[in-house]
Amino acid sequence: MKILEVQNLSKIYGKGENQINALKNVSFVMEKGEFAAIVGESGSGKSTLLNCVGGLDTPTAGRVFVDGEDLFQLDERKRTIFRRRNIGFIFQEFHLIEELNVEQNITFPLLLDGRKPEKERVEEILEVLGLADRRKHLPSQLSGGQQQRAAIGRALIMQPTLILADEPTGNLDSASSRDVMELLVRASRRYQQTILMITHNMNLVSDMDRVFRVTDGVLKDMGGYFGADNHSDSLERGNEDEKLS
Amino acid sequence: MKNYLELASISAKVRKDQNRMTVFCIIFSVFLVMTIFGMADMEIRTMRKQAKEDYGEWHIAFRGMDDEQMEILAGRPEIETCSRYDVLNYRLDMHYRIEGEEALIAGLDRTGLDVFGVRMQEGVFPEEPGEVMIDADMKKRLGLTVGSRIVLSGPDGTEFVYQVTGILEQTPMLAEKGVFGLIMNMEGFRNIRAKEGEERESLIYVKFLPWCNIRKAEESIRDQFGIPEDKVSGNELLLATMGQSDDPTILILYGAALFLSILAAVAGVLMISSSMNSYVVRRTEFFGLLSCLGAERKQISRLVRKEALGWCRIAVPAGIGIGTGIIWLLCAFLRLTNPEYFGKMPGFGISWIGMACGAAVGVASVLMAARAPAKRAAKVSPLEAVSGNAHSNMGVRKAAGKGFGRIETALGIHHALYSGKNFILTTSSFAFSIILFLAFATTVDFMGHALNGLQPYTPDISLIGQEGDSSMDGELGERISKIEGVKRVYGRMFAYDVPVEIRGEKGSACIISYEDYQFGWAKEDLVEGSFEEAVNGRGMLAVFRPDQPVREGDVLQIDTGNGGEEFAISGVLSQCPFNSADGEVILICSESTFQGLTGEEDYTIIDIQLNRRASNTTIDEIRALAGDDVHLSDRRMKNRQAKGAMYSVIVFVYGFLAVIALITVFHVINIIAMSVSARMRQYGAMRAVGMECAQMEKMIVAEAGTYALWGMIIGCGAGLPVNRILYYYMVTVRWGEEWTFPTASLAVILIVVAVSLAAAVHHPVRRVRRMSVVETIIRTE
Repeated sequence: MKILEVQNLSKIYGKGENQINALKNVSFVMEKGEFAAIVGESGSGKSTLLNCVGGLDTPTAGRVFVDGEDLFQLDERKRTIFRRRNIGFIFQEFHLIEELNVEQNITFPLLLDGRKPEKERVEEILEVLGLADRRKHLPSQLSGGQQQRAAIGRALIMQPTLILADEPTGNLDSASSRDVMELLVRASRRYQQTILMITHNMNLVSDMDRVFRVTDGVLKDMGGYFGADNHSDSLERGNEDEKLS
Repeated sequence: MKNYLELASISAKVRKDQNRMTVFCIIFSVFLVMTIFGMADMEIRTMRKQAKEDYGEWHIAFRGMDDEQMEILAGRPEIETCSRYDVLNYRLDMHYRIEGEEALIAGLDRTGLDVFGVRMQEGVFPEEPGEVMIDADMKKRLGLTVGSRIVLSGPDGTEFVYQVTGILEQTPMLAEKGVFGLIMNMEGFRNIRAKEGEERESLIYVKFLPWCNIRKAEESIRDQFGIPEDKVSGNELLLATMGQSDDPTILILYGAALFLSILAAVAGVLMISSSMNSYVVRRTEFFGLLSCLGAERKQISRLVRKEALGWCRIAVPAGIGIGTGIIWLLCAFLRLTNPEYFGKMPGFGISWIGMACGAAVGVASVLMAARAPAKRAAKVSPLEAVSGNAHSNMGVRKAAGKGFGRIETALGIHHALYSGKNFILTTSSFAFSIILFLAFATTVDFMGHALNGLQPYTPDISLIGQEGDSSMDGELGERISKIEGVKRVYGRMFAYDVPVEIRGEKGSACIISYEDYQFGWAKEDLVEGSFEEAVNGRGMLAVFRPDQPVREGDVLQIDTGNGGEEFAISGVLSQCPFNSADGEVILICSESTFQGLTGEEDYTIIDIQLNRRASNTTIDEIRALAGDDVHLSDRRMKNRQAKGAMYSVIVFVYGFLAVIALITVFHVINIIAMSVSARMRQYGAMRAVGMECAQMEKMIVAEAGTYALWGMIIGCGAGLPVNRILYYYMVTVRWGEEWTFPTASLAVILIVVAVSLAAAVHHPVRRVRRMSVVETIIRTE
């Protein structure tokens, strides 16, 4: 069952001499329960692609269907509501609401939708995330890994059809990164959720069903992890370069 | 948490420190409006009491109704009470006298005591035609008591004998006229009136019930009894304090007060608005994140409004509390400085109107002010949160020029100028404060000219020669000046209707002699020429009249009866304490010139100013020295009232100027704080690449200085012409005084702007000094 369908997506920034083609005719499809990674060098267009797929940014051309709904045919308000109910976001910098505790942060999207959080569902997510004993803690009282887990909980609470994650492990140490990835994989399997994740870390790609590589705005479907293997050296090199800079 | 809106209250608790400025702005606005309306309320209450004391508690008077009509009138449901009233010898020209002193005779019904708010010291209302009430001064001077008999002699020598049944408190009118007052019932009064042989339409004074629409009731009464409009008069001051006057002057005054209050409210909205804008700028990423999580624009707007209303829960009661405290302090100050006039001000009065207005304006301001930031917050793109670039490029299109010395100064100036809209808004708000201040500063000049209570020459006691003759010699003045309690004595001689010829045109003049004191006071009003010639007897001073301008250097031909004499106008005064008949020029000269012209040597009027040691004995001694042929006018009560009115206006005018100055201070502080908050991340980055704190400070000062400089240029450019135009209409047209550059006002407001700027820069600079570079770059909230 098709959950995400991207058709001929293009994004152009600037005009004339300053024009930058951030995305060039990107097309791909993701099925329900699929867990895919987007890899590529800095400035290749990964984040632009994720923002357009999530309806945060508007593409210059092309269409994005999420669960059969053409995102950019919806007006701003309807698109917001659709995004709230069907797309979950996980960011590199967690972006939790500082003044809310873990439980409140997780249930916040439900409240925005005017729904009452189901106790069992919240308990289950807190258990799965290993945050049951941290539920009343403020983000400032949590480690980076715990904060990211809370952010994942926030993305899962609405049971969205699609989760978009922009380098969710980018700010975490290796142990926390492993934790977060395990959680995402478990969520993908347990709740049959489609996950599209940007990452620089090739060690994480092994868990993915598919890998997309973006180079200068052009997307290439690399298939399963082994298909991406040939490029792993160059990706790791790129990652090292970034660390140095 | 059951609803996303609860985030507002949670956030308010966590961000208490960050929201302090906004809460303070709301408190200040509520306090401002509460104080203005509250003081106006207290002032109106005082004026109402004063109006009742001075003019009585009646609302409308009808002339030409007979007794039968009055009875019908009294039965109308909206009327509380009414009384007939008539008076004899009001102008003191009918010569009804008691023991040689002029007496004013009034007749009224028993209900008149209530209608006129007459307070009795002792005794009862005279029920029989042969009974009267007398005033307290008469009781004292003639040694009368209740039960005493008095003899009133009429103009033809007829004697009327009355028994005193009651003593009334002294009224300012009787004191100023310096006469005895007799009050009797209408029957007794009509007996005298019948002997006078004069038929007059009687007057009915009506006091309506509270909350009655008096103007509507008046119209209905006029229709019922067929009374023409010109036979109806109103107690305008009292009606004005009840908001029921249609007197254009009072309506203009009320309109002005309303305008000022609206202005204060607008200033409050502006202040809250700019503070809330700053709050939204600081939280751009937060609103972006909410948008990311699926919050609709409407939901974000609601959240901002909810948070703003949450601040109201603390700020409105605080503003009302502070406002009430300030009102009590101001009332206490006024009562202390002027107990005669403000003694009736409520001690710890609660102004419900002030509270309601303060709270309503506070909440409405917050809701109105929250609208724009709420919309702005709702428009924040979700990308602003996820990209982490919410503050990084702020639409800059042009690089900073390095024409102003060091890079930090150039950057500061660039920060101020880079966004045209922001620059115009910020400098406009600086300029608006300066324009407002310069515009209102003209009211101080107007006040100085319009309020006689301020004038140094105002006497407490005046001795006036009978029939206006010059009958008091200089020695009398000297003797009076030696009495304990007398501060100053100065006399004047008057010559009315003197034929004069100016520039070939014949007319008449009123010539007045001045001595040293009066010449000294008049110096303030000299608008043209010099004094010396007039003081030395070689020239004369003319008083400016818009319809008949006499200029310095004009030569006058004065006909003294013994042939013409020529005098040059050596100077022109903007005003003098006297009025003249239409078309009559007022000329002021030295005593020797006056004596040379008219041959008169005695004063027409001797004015006396008293010091703090003066008592009623002082007045008695002056009266004894002046003798029976001289009329004594006691202006002390009137002066106290004028002084009270003056204090009210001073408090109002200077209070308002202070408010404008305060608004300027807050505005400046807020704008700079907002600008710095919006750039914290950028400042962090600058610190990271090696900018020193001192350089950072210079950059902020350069930015703030650019706003202030342009604000001052625009403010002065627009404010000075406004000041000049207002001055022309408020002062020049009436008193002929030309506009002069308002150095003092300008200096005050420019100093206020400069000091506010220094204060405004202080806090952000401290914040920048204390900031953690890493944290600031990572997170701006």
